[in-house]
Amino acid sequence: MAEERNNGHKWTMIVDLDKCTGCQACVVACHAENNVPISSEDEVIRGRANHWIRIERYWEGEYPNVKARFLPVFCQQCGNAPCEPVCPVYASYHSTEENVNIQVYNRCVGTRYCGNNCPYRTRLFNFWAPRFDEPLEQQLNPDVTVRSPGVMEKCTFCIQRIRRGREQANIEGRPLEDGEIVPACAQACPTDALIFGDKWNEHSRVAQMVPSERQFKLLENLGTEPAVYYLKGGETHVGE
Amino acid sequence: MIHFTRREFLKVSAAGTATAILAGCAQETERWVALEPYVRAPEEQLAGVPNWYASTCRMCPAGCGIIVRVMNGRAVKIEGNPEHPINRGKLCARGQSGLQLLYNPDRVTGAVRQEERGSRKFEPLAWNEAINTLYEKLDAAGDAVALWAGSTTSGHLYDLFARYAGAVGASAPLRHDLTSALNGVGTLTAANDALFGRSALPSYALAQADVIFSFGADFLGAWLSATGFGVEFGQFRSQPFGKRGLLVQFEPKMSITGAKADRWVPVQPGAEALVAAALLRIIADEGFGGPARAELAATLAGDVDLDAAAVTCDLALADLVALARAFAEAECPVAIPGGALAGASNGVAAVTAVQALNALAGAAGGAGGLGFMPAVPATLVAPPASSYADAQALIARMNAGEIKLLLVHGANPVYDLPPGSGIADALAKVGTIISFNPLVDETSALADYILPDRTYLEGWGYEVVQPGFQGLPVINSQQPVVGPFYDVRPTGDVLLTAARGIPAAAPALPWTDEVAFIKEQITALPKGASGGDDDEVRWARFLQHGGWWPEAAPESAAPELTAQGPVAAAPAAFEGDEGQYPYYLHLYPSVLLGDGRGASLPWLQGAPDPLTTVAWQTWVEINPATAQALGVDHGDMVHVESPHGAVEAPVYVFPAIRPDTVAIPLGQGHSDLGRYARERGSHALHLVGVTLDDAGANLAWSSVRVKITRLDKKQALARLESTIDPGEDIHVPF
Repeated sequence: MAEERNNGHKWTMIVDLDKCTGCQACVVACHAENNVPISSEDEVIRGRANHWIRIERYWEGEYPNVKARFLPVFCQQCGNAPCEPVCPVYASYHSTEENVNIQVYNRCVGTRYCGNNCPYRTRLFNFWAPRFDEPLEQQLNPDVTVRSPGVMEKCTFCIQRIRRGREQANIEGRPLEDGEIVPACAQACPTDALIFGDKWNEHSRVAQMVPSERQFKLLENLGTEPAVYYLKGGETHVGE
Repeated sequence: MIHFTRREFLKVSAAGTATAILAGCAQETERWVALEPYVRAPEEQLAGVPNWYASTCRMCPAGCGIIVRVMNGRAVKIEGNPEHPINRGKLCARGQSGLQLLYNPDRVTGAVRQEERGSRKFEPLAWNEAINTLYEKLDAAGDAVALWAGSTTSGHLYDLFARYAGAVGASAPLRHDLTSALNGVGTLTAANDALFGRSALPSYALAQADVIFSFGADFLGAWLSATGFGVEFGQFRSQPFGKRGLLVQFEPKMSITGAKADRWVPVQPGAEALVAAALLRIIADEGFGGPARAELAATLAGDVDLDAAAVTCDLALADLVALARAFAEAECPVAIPGGALAGASNGVAAVTAVQALNALAGAAGGAGGLGFMPAVPATLVAPPASSYADAQALIARMNAGEIKLLLVHGANPVYDLPPGSGIADALAKVGTIISFNPLVDETSALADYILPDRTYLEGWGYEVVQPGFQGLPVINSQQPVVGPFYDVRPTGDVLLTAARGIPAAAPALPWTDEVAFIKEQITALPKGASGGDDDEVRWARFLQHGGWWPEAAPESAAPELTAQGPVAAAPAAFEGDEGQYPYYLHLYPSVLLGDGRGASLPWLQGAPDPLTTVAWQTWVEINPATAQALGVDHGDMVHVESPHGAVEAPVYVFPAIRPDTVAIPLGQGHSDLGRYARERGSHALHLVGVTLDDAGANLAWSSVRVKITRLDKKQALARLESTIDPGEDIHVPF
């Protein structure tokens, strides 16, 4: 079901490709925030590298006129998500409050249908129980569960931070401010290439940035209506 | 979990009491906290509600401010400090990973004595015994003690070391590690001294620049202060009215800065000085950028073969002229020298030639461009970085048997120096070696005692930041965000306690503990941005805000050019005959592992390298044309040999590297440093000799040629990118 405007929030991420340097700050920040285990060397060789956010690198051209492009990819939080209708147990469902795709870990039975149906390859399956050599388990974020084997997981837009922020605003009896809630990746990003906010709040930074001529979405033609907007990288020529 | 039996508890208490008496710590000091069960939770702690503590990141020497999220007494996340003038709320991958140093499974959990050097069999040692040993060794050594610190050793500890060394008549502590060499600290300082009479690291304001020419400096990756530069770069790319600046990167192998450049120019290794001098020559000859700039360029430019310069960077001369014009006619151009350039045999000359572009542009000082940090208005100064020549002098003294006691903190010389330096043999001639490092690294493995310091998240400190940003002098604060995770003691306290028994040193080190020393230094500072009228408030705000800095940047005059005459344009020399060793070797610090100290942290090992997407491994980057000529492909093992040594590693066919150059990242190849680092990849520093640069002070670590032989074996590359060839039948491996 396609998303309709409701009274909730429309959490949106903007990725400015002109600024992404590929530095991996977001990747490690996400591992730290969301208790994502690290894949061993062998698992990476088997194609099971495990990151909720990954930086894809594309080569363009040939030496000496070669360019490297970075593309951070994470769950696109589709408004019309292919992963949702295929789940037999409703582990993958759409939140009408936050308007993001939610994964309910303790409902998931591990059919991996959602992963197969995701065109962005952002859903990851836990083949094994995550391992944290003692005492590394002390680093785990108590706000986020550690997913058990046989369960799909993915980027949540740091839903725990969204909930904490909303609850805090509620307690203080005030509306949410733009920029108050920031996922771990966007918070770490040195160049400010990741910008997060509520697109339905028309004063938010994302709402103002989305109508950019540089804007595009990943695999837009599939009609998945991602909540992640990319801004194409620019180019300055000598003599401009 | 740590399990304590009653007997052990009594033992520990006894040791604690003994030390307290020895230390004369009967009076209350800042550091001692009462340990209480959570039945009566500390007032500031609420279950499920995080506390945030400001401190300083010590994963590299940049000195970014951090805030640490602490839940029920344990640190669970490190973020950038939004108030801090360097990183402004941002934090890189290495900074995020500091938690894994705190919780590293391979930390040394208490003082130990090694049965035999290199045996890696450690016997636990009670701390009072350890401190007594240190005292006895210090007492016996007199002035024959040497202190070897690293670039991330806290400033207060360096100052304490320096005071001790001064009091007993020993030479000043050596502060040298691989990071200082790779950052080109000595080279940059020498070049600034030659050009501007300022013996300091340069700082570059990029946010308002319109043209940046970077020569080898991977300022977005692993160079000097990458997070600070990252913030500046983000602003550089989003200036008012849609202006996004022009970044041109001159380097033989594409770094992530090169990937973000508008123009990547693959300059021949060692020819950077020639290109910079050629740019000056063209600006002078063509009168680009107005008479003032052109005239200044004429005084700096020597005779340069412009055609040769264009050839070294695979450019037509017209393109080089266009680049020179773009630079000279920009309002605020910046030239940044760094990386392999600073490790060339003509390092100082090359860095000087590039830095001279800044002078000519009149970009020095002011809102943008090159500047120097104003001095901190106090007695605190950034500790001087020692050069490789200083390290060599110490090694010579060790070999001569002049050093009876060596103390190592924050450095790992056995890994940080090329084997040709003879460091391992020299250590064997030192009477006693005591390491304060938190993990058993290559140097600690050759030590007699390890008296592990607290990690930076458990310890106190301050640090004068160099280089800074926004023209603000900064002194960082470092405070424990959690209680010590193991029975480890702060090195400052250990030293102060031991020094109390040494008549020559005792008057110079009168403080009861290191916190008293730090507090005394900090409260002597003038009022900073966080205010506070009396000492107690100022001290509290220093800790609360993560450091001291003035409210506004002090007025600073643009650095004036003091150099005369043309810059040197001679190309760098390389070791190894071109016929026998056909390829230039380009070494670079890994964006994630840095100079190798990140290798013990699984988050950094498991995160893919940005350009190759390889994790966990060492690889050799080879241009596709060269790979074809050698008959190698991704994952084929090769033997890389220089006149000084050889390593083996799998090939990564890398499209953005010169065909006459091969590149290897540094950071792996540890024989120690815990389970995640040990026996993984190879250490390319083994290919490097011990020649010095043109100043005769710094290691020319980027001045060798290599040859490559294909080996008849493969090593699958652990890469994130798709390994499926679009033409082949798709076989999914699971």
